[in-house]
Formats: sequence, structure tokens, C-alpha cells
Amino acid sequence: MMETHVSRYGKILLAVLVAGILISIPWVTSNYFVMMSIRVMYFGMLTMSLSLLAGELGLVSLMQAAFFGIAGYFVAILQSRYGLPFPIPPLVGITVAIIAAGLFGLLVIRARGIYFLMLTLVLGQLVWALASQWASVTKGDTGIHGVYAPVIFGISTEKSKTAFYFFQLIVFAGIAYFLTALKRSPFGLMLRGVRDSETRMAMLGYPVALLCYSAFVFAALVAAVGGVFFAYFTGLINPHSVSLTANVETLLAAILGGINALSGAILGTGILKTLDVVLSGVTKRYMLFMGIMFLFVIMFAPHGIVGTIRKHWDALVGPAADWFGFRRERALAAFLSGQGSSSQSRKRKEGEEEKED
Amino acid sequence: MPLIVTFSFLNGLTLAALLFIMASGLTLSFGLMRVVNLTHGAFYMAGGFVGLSVLKFSGSWVIALLAGGFVMAALALVEERFLLRRARGNDLIETLISLSVAIIVGDLVLVIWGGYPKTIAIPGALMGVTRIPVIGLMYPLFRIFMLGLAIVLIVGLWLFLKKTNLGITIRAGVDNFEMVSALGINVRRVFTFVFGLSGFLAGLGGVMGGTFMMLVVGEDWRILALTLIVIIIGGMGSLGGAIIGALITGLIYSFAMAFIPQFSLFVLFLPVAIVLSVRPQGLFGKEA
Repeated sequence: MMETHVSRYGKILLAVLVAGILISIPWVTSNYFVMMSIRVMYFGMLTMSLSLLAGELGLVSLMQAAFFGIAGYFVAILQSRYGLPFPIPPLVGITVAIIAAGLFGLLVIRARGIYFLMLTLVLGQLVWALASQWASVTKGDTGIHGVYAPVIFGISTEKSKTAFYFFQLIVFAGIAYFLTALKRSPFGLMLRGVRDSETRMAMLGYPVALLCYSAFVFAALVAAVGGVFFAYFTGLINPHSVSLTANVETLLAAILGGINALSGAILGTGILKTLDVVLSGVTKRYMLFMGIMFLFVIMFAPHGIVGTIRKHWDALVGPAADWFGFRRERALAAFLSGQGSSSQSRKRKEGEEEKED
Repeated sequence: MPLIVTFSFLNGLTLAALLFIMASGLTLSFGLMRVVNLTHGAFYMAGGFVGLSVLKFSGSWVIALLAGGFVMAALALVEERFLLRRARGNDLIETLISLSVAIIVGDLVLVIWGGYPKTIAIPGALMGVTRIPVIGLMYPLFRIFMLGLAIVLIVGLWLFLKKTNLGITIRAGVDNFEMVSALGINVRRVFTFVFGLSGFLAGLGGVMGGTFMMLVVGEDWRILALTLIVIIIGGMGSLGGAIIGALITGLIYSFAMAFIPQFSLFVLFLPVAIVLSVRPQGLFGKEA
């Protein structure tokens, strides 16, 4: 994230600023903006889950929405059909999503690059087919309606959007913090090691398969938490949530924002969901627009917004950051701390692939 | 044998024929270029709709079939020449570009032909049912014709790849790409040709599939998923694998449609899982 490039003092300032903005949203903005923020947060968790795999490990997955949807479906079914009380449906839903990821993970984890993409696409489509065809359980294409958000500490998060917002914000912040910590941990470094040179990591004695497998299962957990909030907030779940469209949208959000940064995942989701709302008022051609945008981002800006900002950080905001007490760091220092600029590592990887071919 | 089993078997064979036509193009272009062309399903659907319109205009099913094929071949050539070629060498980016083109084509089909399911009318000469000689069963004539057409295509492709110079070049390119280009063959042109051929086959498949099944938005992804399953089972880049994979996929899908319709697509998870855990490169695939 951005913190790489700023000092400790700047970091604290930034954290306080972001926390202040997030906490004040329900009071200073409209109800509509709060609802938008809630949407961005749960879809943001889905995007972060993809970002974790694609950015850290170099595995582009087209089935993260399946885990999002599995958790959402279980919450909807357990609550609306069996009337189970609050903590049970989400816990079961997330557990089932993790088990599913454990099963699918065994099949896909040996694959790399386009093979991984293709396998996850197929498995994601099979989950979609199940959601769409198994009508006696999933109610087919109409989906399950009437999912109510829980009552927590006597406050109904169904009635009060502000309460829902804070409930989700706490979980979201926890996950975002944990993912940031994970990226900096030895585990995160090992993942990037696998991304940059798998053979080297294997030769150094790291359990490459286990690393990939645990990252895959962990990413599914993040997506599943997003799915729980999605089902609670929208009150319904249908096959669209696990469709290929949903998966492609997630991928677009992650790449648009910047695949190597969690902040990019959230930024990309925010932009895409805003566009979704703006465009749906004007035209029905959202998919066309999305496809064209996807094409342009892939061809001309594969590092996304955050990646581009990082690349030009010094020139862009250096002087201003100096003024506000942020310290400019030299690219070398950033690189030594294990968070080298994304473009560099990407280039190295491309070079290596060419050699291997 | 109960009637439903016989019919499921025959339907499975017909579907396998269609899936082979789809998978052969995809597996060839993958073998040569290391690109999983995710536009393939969209070409299928768009080809079917082009065939539908051409049939309305010309009244001839054969012209519609060829039109669907050639329009999609042209579209594939444009995609290869102006988009994929720019990202050559980075197979992940190429595959993602093909995914975005699939979304664009899919939505354009919705704009042009609308969202209602449509079917291409079966040509007059092939309408009705006929008795299959040995088992003495009544079966739609058109499906038998489709099976025959697929066999003709299989033989044609096989002869093309085994006997013609271009076919031999393609096979050599699949096996050892660098050696072929070192021999002074313009591999770029071969790439473009195979991509066009693959688009042609997808368009052809679209018109055929649109005649014995339905054409509807969303069909592109269903067919793409089935085609990818064929390739995963059979092994990527292998034409023989595509035949076996298409038979396995078509038969399982068809029997599942008859007996457990709720899981007709999901049940394909089983062969995929078994193949991936026993032989990750597919039944006829080479070790990666």
C-alpha cells in the first residue's frame, strides 16, 4: 500500500485521516453515500481476495465470486428456510466456502498462468450452473429473497443502515489490516518469491505447493466474508452473484485499481461500482462499456491506477508530500525493504517467462 | 435397453460432434499460440445469430452455415491481427484480451438480436425423423446429418493436418515452435491462419448448434465452459484428445440431462476432477 513511500509519522497521520473519514461518513454524507460505501466494502472484500492471489502470487482466478456466492447462499438458505439465529448462518457459510476452496484448491493449485485461469473459469461456471439449476435448493434464477441482517447488541442492522455500516466497517478494517500484515509477513514475502521465481523458491526449500494452497484457501475466506455481508445487505442472492460476469467485474476492479495493492482493489471497486450506478441511469450497455474498459486497461494500463501512481510517486506528489511532512523514499530503499515497485518485479517475471519458453 | 438410454446415447453423440467442432479450433490455436481463446464461445453464439439472419435473407441453410463460419473467421482475424498480436509473448495478457472481446461481442449480440431465445429453422430436406437401420429407432434426421457433418469435419481436419504442407507446418509448430520459425517459415502467418480457422469452426458450430439447440444470450459462456472441459479432459493441443474429451463430455452431459437435470452441468465436475488429479495434463496432453 501507499505506506511504503511515507514515513512513520506520515503513516500515523494517514491512518488517523482515513479512520476519521470512514467514521464520519454516516454523519456528514447522505444515506445514499452510506449505502454506496457499504456496497464498495463487501465487493471490495471480493476484489481483495482476487488481488491477493493475482498480485502476490501471480495467479489470476476467475472463481473468487464462487466463494462469495457459496457463503451468501448458505446464509440465505440457513436463515430464510431454517430460521437459524445470527452467528450460525455466517459461520456455517464461511466454513463451507473454506471447505469448497480446500477441495477446488487441490485441483487447481498445480496449474499456473493461463491454465489456472482456465481451470478456475470452468470450476466457477460449474458452481454457477449448480446455483442456477439446483432449483429445489437455490430457487434457480430468481434466487433467494428475504434475508434479514442480524440484530447485534440490541441494534438491528437491518433497520439502521448506519449500524450495518459500522458492523461491516469493523470486519472490513480487520480484514484489510490483517491482509496488509500478511503481505509484509514472511508468508507474504514467500508468496512474492513464488510469483517471481517458483523454481528458485522450491530450490531454497520452501513448500511452494503448500504456500499456494494456503493462499488460495485464505483468499476464499476473504471473499466469503464479503458474500455474507452481500446477502445481509441486499437481502437476496441469485446466480448472478456467482456468474462469470461477476468474476470478470471483480478482475476488472482489481486490475483497474492496481493488482499489486490492497488500496488498488478498494479504489478499483469504488470506481466500478460508481460507474455501474451512473451508467445504469443512462444506458443498458453497462456490459459493453465494461468490456471496452477491460480491453483498454489490459492493453494500456495493466498496472492500474495505484501502480501508475507508485511509478510516478516522486514526480507527482513528492513536493507536496514533503510539505506535509511525508518523507520521500528512494526507490532503492523501498526495494530493499522487500516492497520493490510492482513494475520492476513484473518486468523481471516477464523476462523470465520468455526465457523459459 | 430402455428407450431413454438409447436416446441419451444418441443425443450425447450429437452433442459430442458439436463439442468436437468447437474444441478442435480452440485446441489447435492453443497448441500453436499458448492462448486460451476465451472469445470462442462468443464466436459460437454470434456465428449462430449471423446464420439466423442470413437464413432469413437468403433462405438457404447451407449459405447460412457458411456465412456464420466466414463472418466469425473474419472477426477472429481482426481480433488476432489488431489486438492479440500487440500482446504476443505474454499469454496471460492475450487470454485476458480475448476475455474482454468475448464480453464486447456478447453484449453486441444482445443489442443486435435481442435477448429472446431463437432457433434456426431446420432445412426442409433434413426435417422430420428417420429410422436408424441397425437399432431400428426413429431419430431426428437433422441430428444424424450433424453427426455425419462432424465426422466429415474430423476426417477433413485430419487429412488437412496430416497431408497438406500447411497442416504439417501447424503440427510442427505445436510440437516445436522455435524450430519451425528457425526453418524460415513465417509462423506469424500460420498463427493468423489457425486463428481464423478456429473462428470459422466456432461460427460453423454456432449455426449447427443454433439449429438443434437454442440460441440465447448466455449460451456463449455455457458452450465455452463445455468446450474448455473437453480440452481439459482430452489434453490441451491434442486433436485426438478433443475427440475423446468431446465424447466423454457430450455423453455425460446428455445422460445427466435425462436422469438428473438439476445437476446436468455440475456433474461434469467429476470427470474434470478425476482427470486433474490423475493426469493433470489431460488424457492425451503432453507433460507441461
